[in-house]
Amino acid sequence: MNGKSLAHAMLRSASLLAPAGRRAEWLKEWRSELWYIPPDASARFCLGAFRDAIWVRRNQPRPRHLHLESPLSCLAFLAGVASLALLIAICLPAPELPDPPGAHLTLRDLPGGCLASLAMSLPWLAAIWAAMGPAQCWPRPGRLRLALFLLLKLALVQPVFLTSFIILLLTGPSLPILPQLLLSGTWGFSLRWILHDQQRRCPVCLRLLTEPVRIGSASETFLEWYGAESACSRGHGLLQVPETSATYAGARQWLALDASWNDLFSEAAERR
Amino acid sequence: MADAPRLSHTTAMILQAVAAGHIYGYTVMDVTGLPSGTVYPALRRLEQDRLIQSKWEQPSAATAMRPPRKYYRLTRIGETAIEASRKRYPLLASLTPAEEVRDS
Repeated sequence: MNGKSLAHAMLRSASLLAPAGRRAEWLKEWRSELWYIPPDASARFCLGAFRDAIWVRRNQPRPRHLHLESPLSCLAFLAGVASLALLIAICLPAPELPDPPGAHLTLRDLPGGCLASLAMSLPWLAAIWAAMGPAQCWPRPGRLRLALFLLLKLALVQPVFLTSFIILLLTGPSLPILPQLLLSGTWGFSLRWILHDQQRRCPVCLRLLTEPVRIGSASETFLEWYGAESACSRGHGLLQVPETSATYAGARQWLALDASWNDLFSEAAERR
Repeated sequence: MADAPRLSHTTAMILQAVAAGHIYGYTVMDVTGLPSGTVYPALRRLEQDRLIQSKWEQPSAATAMRPPRKYYRLTRIGETAIEASRKRYPLLASLTPAEEVRDS
């Protein structure tokens, strides 16, 4: 493989990291620039394409959260997914009941299965919680509400885990690795999503906070607070997430806003 | 001027290169000495923040023998930002103007 084809292969590989909707133009730009690069520098030039593609992927406009802003719509969505998972679980042959042959999982078996699934997901939950860094200190009145919401979300994903586990048991003998990977991925992704969603909720109304806004400058960490800030759309408060840990701002913190801010947020809500 | 965004030195250097007429990604790399993995994401971020805007070259006799390139130009916000950055980083002025300044 000569230098030119190596460079083109690198660009082609890097383009897979770019979002599909922007991939063609992204590749066109890098290929047109490559035309001007001396052959001995082309491989080094193309290495940067990987970083650029990752940047484009990470900074593409995010879709709104599937109307999951309110806590009720979030729980309704999870309940829908749980119902679908339960339906699949009931239709699948029950792998742990060989007698009588072809026995199916019944509704009576589901609570026990979900409890077992919950017990298995707790270590995962603890590990992901720890990996996500220090949690913010929520105000006392909101803690119970948030804890109940978290418990409900956890309960509603258990049917999904149970169904994944049944699929693993059914397909395990024929496909030795893939089901395990899929199961681990489903659990890891779901639990992480639950915790991530939890961290972006207002402790008062449980609605999703706005997209974070970057505040301050990295080069002035010692002079002013530096991080990202999200607001409750109802004006209940601000979530401040420091970019770097400092003695005066180590973890995320919730800044409750008093009633004097209500006018500002109600005007913004009317404009929306 | 108070509202001008504050840029890091590297970003200001890239913006200054564009302001000096180095309008292509590769020429920005060449004049700043920065690698492609730094320059291209920075150009995209500057464009996202509306400090520069990109356009593709129109097909012409000049581009018949080579692929058209994407080029970058400063916006008004970008001009304000680079003015502020020059005060903050006086050595930015040492970036020499390019000859390839494109007609609008």
